[in-house]
Amino acid sequence: MTGTSRRSLALSVAEHVHDGDTVFLGGFGHAVPFALGHELIRAGKRDLVICRSGADILADQLIAAGCVSSVIFGWIGNPDVGIAHAFRRAIADGSITWEEWTNWSMVLRLQAAAWGVPYLPAKVLLAGDGPAVIDGLLRVSCPYTGEELAAIPALEPDVAIIHAQRADESGNVQMWGVIGDTVVGALASKRIIVSVEEIVHTSVIESSPNLTVIPAHRVAAVCEVPWGAYPSYVEGAYTRDDDHYVEYDRRSRTPEGVAEHLERWVNVDRDAYLSMIDRHRLATA
Amino acid sequence: MHANDIELTSAAAARMLDDGEACFVGIGTPSIAALVAKHGHAPNLTLVYESGAYGTVPSTLPMSTGSPSVASGASCLGDCGLVFGDLQAGRIEVAILSAAQVDRFGNLNSTVIGRYRTPKVRLVGSGGAHDIASLVGRTLIVMPHDPRRFVEHVDFVTAPGFDRGGNRPRGTRGTGPVALITPRAVFGFGGGDLRLEALQPGHDAASATEGFGFSVPIADRVEQLEPPTRREMEIMARWTR
Repeated sequence: MTGTSRRSLALSVAEHVHDGDTVFLGGFGHAVPFALGHELIRAGKRDLVICRSGADILADQLIAAGCVSSVIFGWIGNPDVGIAHAFRRAIADGSITWEEWTNWSMVLRLQAAAWGVPYLPAKVLLAGDGPAVIDGLLRVSCPYTGEELAAIPALEPDVAIIHAQRADESGNVQMWGVIGDTVVGALASKRIIVSVEEIVHTSVIESSPNLTVIPAHRVAAVCEVPWGAYPSYVEGAYTRDDDHYVEYDRRSRTPEGVAEHLERWVNVDRDAYLSMIDRHRLATA
Repeated sequence: MHANDIELTSAAAARMLDDGEACFVGIGTPSIAALVAKHGHAPNLTLVYESGAYGTVPSTLPMSTGSPSVASGASCLGDCGLVFGDLQAGRIEVAILSAAQVDRFGNLNSTVIGRYRTPKVRLVGSGGAHDIASLVGRTLIVMPHDPRRFVEHVDFVTAPGFDRGGNRPRGTRGTGPVALITPRAVFGFGGGDLRLEALQPGHDAASATEGFGFSVPIADRVEQLEPPTRREMEIMARWTR
């Protein structure tokens, strides 16, 4: 990002996410980009291919809202609560397709793209039934040892949406706590949109450059969105609203229930959204 | 105070972990089992979560491997590449896994019940389970006693155990599953095939294999497991009561 300033969620999504794009969703339990993901729904995006390793309820909500034509994942569900109900309905009625990897092979797919190589060799997806359900998965014989390895193909998303603690106006992103596959997924992508709890002066960034996980030159847009990862959490700011995930499990069991949930939590402006969060209970800072 | 099912399972699994090991753990009973060992006989056990956390001693039981209590109790927070790279390089000795189904060869299914393209029940998929089962030194499997979970052949091999000849399949390393631990018994996989080896308090061979979809061989000498100690119960109570 060069010389541009902070953007609104709506403008960022309008400029950088197009129908049919492959979209990497950040957030491995921590800092799931709900605000940016919900903006995709409000903007009426269609035919998105969403991808990440472990996909939780934000992915399910994008599917429920009709934004998605395909999912590329290593895991999809509601952690420790249950399955992804909208995903289950969508594959049963044929409205979406899916491509199923594992968490490590998804990380390798993204890492290959981030490093600009066509594939990375790996010692997984060589046994069990997983390899047989991945179209076109190939093996390589190591030219040095002769060992047979899986050739995990690069996955280069068109755009990544991620959330983090802070960035400066030029787009240097600082994140700490659980990283999971968020940084590698962002770096794999052609464009990166970031929401942060706080936009800070560049001097703050420069006081601890080791915390910068994505350099400004890779970032297309930065939005300041406090509580932008709710109902997931942000290390040092607020904790996870576990009850919300349990509630989503209950509501999303029917198409009507999930529609009501989206009406309540997505079809609202930011102030109304914030007013529904029990911020006093969840804040840790 | 009598031990409940989760406590019986967790305490029996904990005793199979050695001090100084790195243990890949998932959410729920696997986490409790590792914590019982960590607070008891294995203070130098390192809990490893796929989100990138090492050395975690969560104060509250996490709902996700990326939950706040995984991060706040960790001594090292890397990323998925760090932990799975370590795993692939053969640096992690043991893992505790669970799944929707396990079969007599220790294969785990967390993908589908029924056919893959037209499932009766679509489950969550591998996550890290395939990767861990393929690459870790040895695997402990923990399961509630739910007869639907114990089948001769799983509907989908998400995480590979042994093939039908009792061998580790090509493209895996490590010794594979060493035990299936339930609230009623411990089963081993000597020769790559499930075998009843030890009974939880109050159970016999019939109740331990009640509802299994296949007949289970019984070891020549079946051990009787001790119930969780008072100390183990105290440790577990903060997550199970």
